[in-house]
Amino acid sequence: MSMGYQRRWETRRQAGGSAADEARDSYYGLPAIHKPHWKWSIVLYFFLGGISGASYVVATLARLFGGPELRPVARAGRYLSFLTVIPAPLLLIYDLGRPERFHHMLRILKLRSPMSLGAWGLLAFSLFSGLSALTQAAHDGLIGRRGPARLLRATPDRLVGLLGSGPAFFLSGYTGVLLAATAVPLWTKNFLLLGPLFLSSALSNAVTALYLLLAATRQAGSHALERLERLDRLALLAELALLLGLRANSGPVIGRPLDAGRLGQAFRGVLGAGVVAPLLLQALARRRHGAIAQALRLLAGLLVLTGGFLLRCVIVFAGHRSADDPHATFELARKR
Amino acid sequence: MSVRASQGDGRAGTTGARPGALGFLTDTTLCIGCKACEVACKQWNQLPMDDFGFTGYSYDNTGDLGATTWRHVAFIERVSDREGRRPTRLKAFQSNWLMLSDVCKHCVYAGCLEACPTGAIIRTEFDTVVIQQDICNGCGYCVPACPFGVPALSLTDGKAHKCTLCYDRLKDGLEPACAKACPTDSIQFGPVEQLMERAKRRVADLHAQGVTEAYIYGDREVGGTGGIEGLNAFFILTAPPEVYNLPAQPELPQRKVLPAFLSTAAAALGLGLAALLSLRR
Ligand code: SF4
Ligand code: SF4
Repeated sequence: MSMGYQRRWETRRQAGGSAADEARDSYYGLPAIHKPHWKWSIVLYFFLGGISGASYVVATLARLFGGPELRPVARAGRYLSFLTVIPAPLLLIYDLGRPERFHHMLRILKLRSPMSLGAWGLLAFSLFSGLSALTQAAHDGLIGRRGPARLLRATPDRLVGLLGSGPAFFLSGYTGVLLAATAVPLWTKNFLLLGPLFLSSALSNAVTALYLLLAATRQAGSHALERLERLDRLALLAELALLLGLRANSGPVIGRPLDAGRLGQAFRGVLGAGVVAPLLLQALARRRHGAIAQALRLLAGLLVLTGGFLLRCVIVFAGHRSADDPHATFELARKR
Repeated sequence: MSVRASQGDGRAGTTGARPGALGFLTDTTLCIGCKACEVACKQWNQLPMDDFGFTGYSYDNTGDLGATTWRHVAFIERVSDREGRRPTRLKAFQSNWLMLSDVCKHCVYAGCLEACPTGAIIRTEFDTVVIQQDICNGCGYCVPACPFGVPALSLTDGKAHKCTLCYDRLKDGLEPACAKACPTDSIQFGPVEQLMERAKRRVADLHAQGVTEAYIYGDREVGGTGGIEGLNAFFILTAPPEVYNLPAQPELPQRKVLPAFLSTAAAALGLGLAALLSLRR
């Protein structure tokens, strides 16, 4: 019967060197720290939470400064934010070893624990997101005209949006801090970059999702779409710079999982297909018209979203691999 | 941070342990690798056996600390040195084996404790670090937050487990089961201040006997670095920490929280501004 998540030595021991050799610079090459158990549900949470927060911010800014042309963006942003935040707590609860005790997260608030802050931040943001989506629904006449709908229509939606933008940005970015505040070499080495990276990727994902939604439903005019694409470009450029910075900052030992094997392929895939290719496709689309331009933008959008999900997969699982590498841990904790 | 250690800035042999803190001194030069501590721990804490297997790593078939293994004896056979020379002389204290009974370090500032979002992990009146099993919800965040790879989630009950420094025995005025069972007093239990004094004397002794490699792991110079401020369960080692699978100069992971949040907030400002300028009418 297996009592732990993984018996670590079973996954080690490569052909070649003798045990005595392996015992010289590390303890038989065994991991020096424990990696987290996080799987697809956490990756998906990072992805959806990022989109939810960022689309809320986009909706708020569109409502505040975008004028009537961007009304559809504000509306779609609010709905998208709410729809993507609904699964978030479910994914987190599913991930717990004891899901029935999820409310223990709300026993205390700990400023030094990003996980604790995250639980409270998610709660706060869901309230804002829910309120804004309901207000929007009331304006759209989706929940009737009288009673609560009238009350909701009277809420100052712009003020709510402004107040909710703090928690929204928090939700998109805190996950990077969550990873950074661990002993996992790849994450803690890049502690200043992960939050900004997740944030910019969340923004590009949200903008892309909104673009695709609005273009598909023909809800927004070409000016609105142009502005969204401009924002997408900026977010993707930021993401590109941060990804390159992450690779450079990791160094050869700690950054090894970003080069080698499937994860290395995935990392290059994120860079090439998830960031650079969409930028190029969008540039190409700007010089074309009609169906070709549409097809190019659709392709770019799908690549951005796939890349955004893959990015979180790579960061999480490459972190796991760096935790399994004692040399990465020792490099981090080298005697100074 | 960067200038210290070798320059002897007085951090060796000091710890930030609070007055009256209880802990372990694990003197690896006395360990004979009998694993009595592992067995006593399992017996007292009613921990089930782990996978039954053969690792091929010397006499170590335990491999690692885990949810059901709170003491782990590491074995390193010094067959030859870096240059491939075989030893011709025995060490003053034992054969050419290195053996270390690893355990939760009950850090003065503990990464696991600071990470725990439910408050399940507490600092007890003995200044030890304990996971309250009725609170833990198995989020698993303490697992990567420990710089020493100690806590682990159990598949059986979904919660995190680690050494409690026999909290129940301490309550009754007994010493922890492993220390009680250790036949050579390689594991010694007591107030950290006293243990640290004893460790310093022992290291000086060993140096006098010609074992100049001996040093304390778990003071502010090695092991208890980077905001951890010392380990209440510390060690006397005779080889670099890495040989025992211990990090030389670990850091408290939570030191990164504030700077990481600040950089994220700066990015939020920048991206927010970019969004404003792009979306503006
Ligand atoms: S060694 Fe790890 S599990 Fe033990 S107190 Fe320190 S941080 Fe917590
Ligand atoms: S697994 Fe349990 S003890 Fe560990 S951080 Fe989560 S709630 Fe705390």
